[in-house]
Amino acid sequence: MRVLVIEDDAGLRAQLIENLKAAGYAVDAAADGDEGVYFGREYDYDAAVIDLGLPKQDGISVIKALRGLGRSLPILILTARAHWQDKVAGLEAGADDYLTKPFHMEELQARLNALVRRAAGHASPVISVGPFVLDTARKQARIDDAPIELTAFEYRVLEYLVLNSTRVVSKTELTDHLYEQDFDRDSNVIEVFIGRLRRKLDPDGGLNPIRTVRGQGYRFSLDAPG
Amino acid sequence: MRARLLLTSTLVLGLGLGLTGWVLDRSFTASVVAGAQEQLKLLIYSLLGAAEEDGPRLRFPSAPLEPRLQQPGSGLYATVTDVSGTVIWQSRSLRLADTSTNGFTEALADGLIVPGSFQFRQIDDQFEMFYRVIWETEGDQTFTFRVIADQAPFRAAIESFRRELMLGLAAVVAALMGAQVLAIAWGLRPVAEMAARVEAVEEGSRERMGEDYPPELAGLARNIDRFIDHEVSSRERYRRAMDDLAHSLKTPLAVLRNALTAARFEDLKLLREQLDRMESTVAHQLSRAMAARPVVLAGRTAPANVAQRLVKALQTAYMTKNVTVELAIPAELLVRCDERDLMEMLGNLLENAFKYCTSQIAVAAESGATVRLTIDDDGLGVPVELRLQLLARGARGDTVEPGHGIGLAVVAELASSYGGALSIETSPLGGARVILELPGAPLAKSAAS
Repeated sequence: MRVLVIEDDAGLRAQLIENLKAAGYAVDAAADGDEGVYFGREYDYDAAVIDLGLPKQDGISVIKALRGLGRSLPILILTARAHWQDKVAGLEAGADDYLTKPFHMEELQARLNALVRRAAGHASPVISVGPFVLDTARKQARIDDAPIELTAFEYRVLEYLVLNSTRVVSKTELTDHLYEQDFDRDSNVIEVFIGRLRRKLDPDGGLNPIRTVRGQGYRFSLDAPG
Repeated sequence: MRARLLLTSTLVLGLGLGLTGWVLDRSFTASVVAGAQEQLKLLIYSLLGAAEEDGPRLRFPSAPLEPRLQQPGSGLYATVTDVSGTVIWQSRSLRLADTSTNGFTEALADGLIVPGSFQFRQIDDQFEMFYRVIWETEGDQTFTFRVIADQAPFRAAIESFRRELMLGLAAVVAALMGAQVLAIAWGLRPVAEMAARVEAVEEGSRERMGEDYPPELAGLARNIDRFIDHEVSSRERYRRAMDDLAHSLKTPLAVLRNALTAARFEDLKLLREQLDRMESTVAHQLSRAMAARPVVLAGRTAPANVAQRLVKALQTAYMTKNVTVELAIPAELLVRCDERDLMEMLGNLLENAFKYCTSQIAVAAESGATVRLTIDDDGLGVPVELRLQLLARGARGDTVEPGHGIGLAVVAELASSYGGALSIETSPLGGARVILELPGAPLAKSAAS
């Protein structure tokens, strides 16, 4: 999951980046509204955390600009001004949730997870597909109630595929959403991770939950191959 | 102002007309007295003409010179005395009256009565006229003619004149006063209009005083408008200052807190608690400072619109909770409260409802002089013993749970700054019923503004 953070306070921005990365997100950060809109236009994010009081362009107009570009990513607004006027204006401009400063990082992560899930059409933090259970709150995968040992990156690949299981996800898309903007991309790395995931999820090779769609990418599915 | 104008004009009017009345009365009285004098003089002439010499005496024909002299007690009398003061003739009218002396002898003795000239005096209720004549016969006898007239008929004339004068003047006073009242009302109409507009501004059905005033008041209206602008902008400045303060305090607090989250020392738990206390105190004090001022020039806001926007926003934020909200506030209902503050109050209350409900919220309103907004939820409700504590004005920030109590205390404070109130009851839905009371804004005024 790749997240855009737009926050002007350097200290808080650094903390947000650190915490979100620790939670398994790929994070891009912008320090003002203009930069934020630029990132939002150039890259496809899974969520955005936007401070309302931004220099150059305030949060509300950043949200409007992103929505105007057709970006449907979930947006969480941060505001130091606890006024409802601002919260309502933010939500009316197209934000999906709000958080008033100061906040607990755990709260932010929980809200962000919920938003990303919601955007993928899942209300509960626990997503079940056949014998597979993905607990997005604990960042954990289980098969028939037995935990599957996954590295953080493996989990991120699996989570992205499960949340987007209605469609085919290309290798480029996976790279875009799992790495930060300045990461050295190499699609072979993705293939390596997919291979490891398949072995961990389906050691017997009977279910084959991660399907390869030739020439297009991958899809998480338990349907009989057609 | 009207009373002052009326009072001064009444005083001036009263004084002027009183003076006029007095002068008229004086001159009329003087003319009446002069008339009486003339009448008596004529009577003496006619007596002189009628008198016939008869030795040392004078004789008068028995035929009446003037009918009233012949009639006893008629009010008109005459006597003739010789030099010694002995009455040598008296009119028949005097027979029953007792006016013979009446200071006459004293007047003679004082030498008041000079021969050949008329003397007039008013004694008691009578006019008297004397004429002393030296009859050029043998021995040049001196006779004094005296005629007396009762003042009563003259008095009556004066009285009746006075009465009419009074009536006339009273009518003039009434007419002038009426005209005065009308003139004042007309003259002061722009002032009354201005007062009504000030009231409308105060009520919030008008924003400004406007331009259409006579030149005498235009300056004042401009000044009031300037004052209103100043009020609005200083409120705005105040708000911004508060926002900046909040921003500058809260961001470092957030940084500190998150830095602590990363630290592993057990002691830091204490620091974190302290930070929480600081944070809630700051939040509470800021909100209190915002709410503590009584609001003078409140706008008018439709709670239906505000509640609808809030519910829509909260539905987005609480999308996963699937809350059913029943909004039953009449769209035309208005309260006297700035939109921002109403949003603050309803925002806090509705957020609580979303947070603590199970799946159902109902918002309703009762209109009247005081608008009663009720927010019901089907959550667990608020225990009776906690209700007052949550609403306590000036409750110390650190005694209240963040996110729960602060919101309600702030709403209570804001409501009371508008002359409203907040209370908590048990909802028929099973959870809490929060009642927000705010002064209503009459609908009729909106048409005028």
